Amino acid sequence: MKAKDVMEPITETLSPETTLKEAVNRMKVARRGEGWTGVKGMIVLDDGKLAGIVSIKDILRAIIPSYMRLTELGEFTWDGMLEEMTKKVAGKKVGEVMTRDVITVSEDAPLMECADLMVKHSLQRLPVLDKDKRVVGMVYIRDLYQAIVQALLDKEGE
Amino acid sequence: MTNEAAAATQPFVMNASFWTATVIFLLAYALIVSEKVHKTVVALFGAALMLVLKILEQKEAFHVEEFGVDWNVIFLLISMMVIINLMKPTGFFEYIAIKSAKLGKGEPMRIMTIFALVTAVLSALLDNVTTVLLLAPVTLLIADALEVDPVPFLIAEALASNIGGTATLIGDPPNIMIASKAKLDFISFIYNLTPAIIVIMAAFLFVLKLIFGKRLRVKPELRQRILEMDEREAIKDPLMLKKSLFVLAIVITGFVLHGMLGYEPATVALFGAGLLLLLSGTHEPHHVLAEVEWPTIFFFMGLFIIIGGVVKVGLIKWMSIEVLALTHGNMFATSMLIMWFSAFASAFVDNIPYVATMNPLIIDMANQIWPHLQGIKLLHNPELMPLWWSLALGACLGGNGTAIGASANVIVVGLAERAGRKITFIRFMAYGMPVMILTVLLSTVYVWLRYYVLKI
Repeated sequence: MKAKDVMEPITETLSPETTLKEAVNRMKVARRGEGWTGVKGMIVLDDGKLAGIVSIKDILRAIIPSYMRLTELGEFTWDGMLEEMTKKVAGKKVGEVMTRDVITVSEDAPLMECADLMVKHSLQRLPVLDKDKRVVGMVYIRDLYQAIVQALLDKEGE
Repeated sequence: MTNEAAAATQPFVMNASFWTATVIFLLAYALIVSEKVHKTVVALFGAALMLVLKILEQKEAFHVEEFGVDWNVIFLLISMMVIINLMKPTGFFEYIAIKSAKLGKGEPMRIMTIFALVTAVLSALLDNVTTVLLLAPVTLLIADALEVDPVPFLIAEALASNIGGTATLIGDPPNIMIASKAKLDFISFIYNLTPAIIVIMAAFLFVLKLIFGKRLRVKPELRQRILEMDEREAIKDPLMLKKSLFVLAIVITGFVLHGMLGYEPATVALFGAGLLLLLSGTHEPHHVLAEVEWPTIFFFMGLFIIIGGVVKVGLIKWMSIEVLALTHGNMFATSMLIMWFSAFASAFVDNIPYVATMNPLIIDMANQIWPHLQGIKLLHNPELMPLWWSLALGACLGGNGTAIGASANVIVVGLAERAGRKITFIRFMAYGMPVMILTVLLSTVYVWLRYYVLKI
C-alpha cells in the first residue's frame, strides 16, 4: 500500500495570520470522521501552499518562556504560571509558533517510508503532497498502525 | 623627548612590507567592525595573509612571544572554559541565583542590588559571558514571578558584570591580555584595580537605586512565589558540585599565589581544568571540550598574529611615537588619554582587538622613553604602571557604553529579545553610556589620586 491508500482527507486548515487563540478553538471543534471532534494538529496553508504545521507540542513550546529552554528551572515555576503564560501568548500568530520545516511524503510513498519518517522524527502525522506540491491528505500514525494490524491479522487468518 | 629623537633611536622603514601589513590590519579591523564577515573568519584569514605574504615567518607567529600567539592567554581562556563547562550542569549557578532572589525577600530593588553584586563577584572570578548567560534566565523567571519588567534587571546585570570583571586578572579578556604582555600577576590586579572597582560598584548600586528605587513595586502575594522556591532543588549533582568547588578553590588560591610560586596564570588554570576533568570521571570529554568557545579562541589566535605582523613592520611603533608627541611625553596626560580613548573605543569596537593593539603600543612607548631599560624593569617601571591600569579600566569599563561594547551586553540583549522584550541600541545606551562615563570619571580620579598625588 501507498500513502494515498491510507491517508485521510484534510477538512480544515489554518493560515499563518490566525491567532493562537483562534487556532486552538478551530482545533477543538474540528471534526474528523464519524463522531470525533477535536484534532491535535493542523496544517497551515499560505496561498494554498503548505507553510507549516501546528501541533499541541508547538503550542506548548510557544507557551513555555524562552529562558526555560536555556537552563533547568522547572522546579522554580509556580502554580498558575502555565495559565498566565498561555494568556500572554494568546494573540500570537500561528505563523510565529508553527513548525516550518514540515516533513512530508508524496502520494506514492510506500508505507515503510512513512513509518520510517514518523519514528525518526517522532511525528504523529505526515502531510501528503501531490506532484504540484499541494497537500491532498494526511497520514496519521494510527493509519499506519491500522495497516500493521491488518497485515498481522490477515496472516493469522490464513 | 621629541618625535624625531624617538624615531631616531629605533628606526624603521615604510617599505612594501610595512604597507602590506598595515593594509591587512586596517582591513581586518574594518571588517570586524562592520560585522559583514564573522570576526573569527576575518582574524584567521588576516593571520594567514600575514604568513603567506611573508610579513611574519610561521615560526615567529607560533613560537615568538613578541610577534605571535600568546599561548598564556589561549590556555588560560580554554582552561577556565573547561572548568566552567564541567561546573554548569551541577546547578550551582541556578542555586546562587535563586538563593539571591530569596535573600532579596522578593523585593525587586533588593533583588536587583543583590543580583548586581553577585554578577560582579562571579564575573570577577569567572568570565562575564558565562555569568550573565547563567544568571539571566533565572532573572527572567524571577521577573515573571514578580510581574515586573525584566529589562532593568538584565541591563543592570550586564553593566555589573563588566564592572566586576575589571577587578581581577581573570575577570575580563583585556585584563588577561594585559597581564600576560605586561607580566603582571593576579595580586597586582587585586592590589591596583579591585579597590577602584569596589568604589565604582558602590556608586553604581547607588545609581541603580536612584533610577529604579521608586519604580519597582510588587504585590505581597507575588513575593510569596519567590519565597516558596527551594534553591536546594537546583543542585543536580551534589558530588560533582563538591569536586568543582574544591577545584575552583585550588585554582583561585593558585591565582593568588602564582606570582610567588613562579607559575603563569595559564599553568594554574590548566592544572584546574585537568584535575576537574580527572575528578569528574568522564570517559567522554568530547562535549565538555566541544562547548569551549572555539570561535573566540581562534579569534584570539588570528588576532595575535595580525598584531604581530604590524608590530614587526613598525606600525605600532609609529603609532606610539604619535601618541607620545600628542601628550608631549607627559605620563599623566598619556595615561588619561589611554583611559578615555580606550573607554570610547571599547564602547563601539570589540575591546579584544583594541587591547591586543594597545599592549605592544604601550611597550613601544616605554621603549622610547626608557631606551636603556629592558624586560621587567621596563614593563614594571613605576611611571609606566598607571598606563597599564588606565588601559585596563578604560577598556573594560568602556564596554558598558553601548549594547555592542561587551559580549555580556550582546548576550543580555539577545536573551531579552527572545523573551519578547526588545532592548534597542538607544535604550541600552541610555543606561550604559552614563554609567560608563561615571565609572571612567571615578577611575580618572582614582588613577590621578593614587598614582600621581599619593603615589602609592
